[in-house]
Amino acid sequence: MRHPIEFLFPPEIGAELIYSFVIVICSLMIYYATKEMYELSSYKGLKYFRLSFLFFALAYFFRYFIQFFLVFFNIQEIIDISPRIIFDTSMFIFLYSSSMAVFCLLYSVMWKKWNHSKQKMYLFNALAIIIALIGTLFRGMLVSLGLNVILLLFVSFILFTAYNENKKKRSKNSLLVIYFALFIFWILNVLSILLPKFLQLYQLAIYLISIFIFMVILYKVLKKTGN
Amino acid sequence: MTKRGKLEIIKDILRIIQKSNGLIKPTPLLRKSGISSASFKEYYTELLQKELIKEKTNPQGKYINLTEKGFRFIERYKTIISFIEEFDL
Repeated sequence: MRHPIEFLFPPEIGAELIYSFVIVICSLMIYYATKEMYELSSYKGLKYFRLSFLFFALAYFFRYFIQFFLVFFNIQEIIDISPRIIFDTSMFIFLYSSSMAVFCLLYSVMWKKWNHSKQKMYLFNALAIIIALIGTLFRGMLVSLGLNVILLLFVSFILFTAYNENKKKRSKNSLLVIYFALFIFWILNVLSILLPKFLQLYQLAIYLISIFIFMVILYKVLKKTGN
Repeated sequence: MTKRGKLEIIKDILRIIQKSNGLIKPTPLLRKSGISSASFKEYYTELLQKELIKEKTNPQGKYINLTEKGFRFIERYKTIISFIEEFDL
């Protein structure tokens, strides 16, 4: 028989919550550690780099936290709202924000090569909305899987091109590897939600490696900003 | 000689103002900054808007001073550039 506390916080939910909490904290720390640098320089690359981590924080907040708060504080007793609506809304926001986070990170690295084009950001916004809509409406369907694979191929192609151009600069290459790992784990995170049974066995590994990647980026940011 | 980036030009302009101890006028600043007058006008407006510099008028004319934010920019310039290079931004 389950201990009463396990009804409130089943172990799997506990792990999800801790995971989301760590990612939200890491992302917000990166966002605030770079605040002064951006305020002083108004540098476009910095703007999108920071925005990317703000979107990551938002995405992981909506991944579990919002559902947890609604259940924990028993919001349904106060407002008559269907759990399905809550789940779908938070799923939509998670998919939109996490897609935007990846696109902003990509744009922060590529904006100079793309001739400062702002239209790409409009395109990325539209793409993120489409991804979020498809993910929310066809949850667990092959179409979501296909869309994410196409997106991974697209991001990989851009990063691979940049990687080849920077072959001589070793430090940049190591960073591109981190970014690439971040993009792969973003896809795995999305898939672990859309197709929970598909990746159930590897869930803990996905969480741990994702946290490790965020920690590495946070460490690099704090080291460079001197915070 | 390599082309200076935007942040480097801003840093150079602010350094010239800093070295003059707030006793520099716009025309000598333009001459010392080594950019065209059209570019200088753009940079000058931007620096005023971002409150990195401020104008001070006295009977001798208009002088340019650094603000607190301007001093902070010079202080943090190397960190900002090193961050941008590290993250390939």
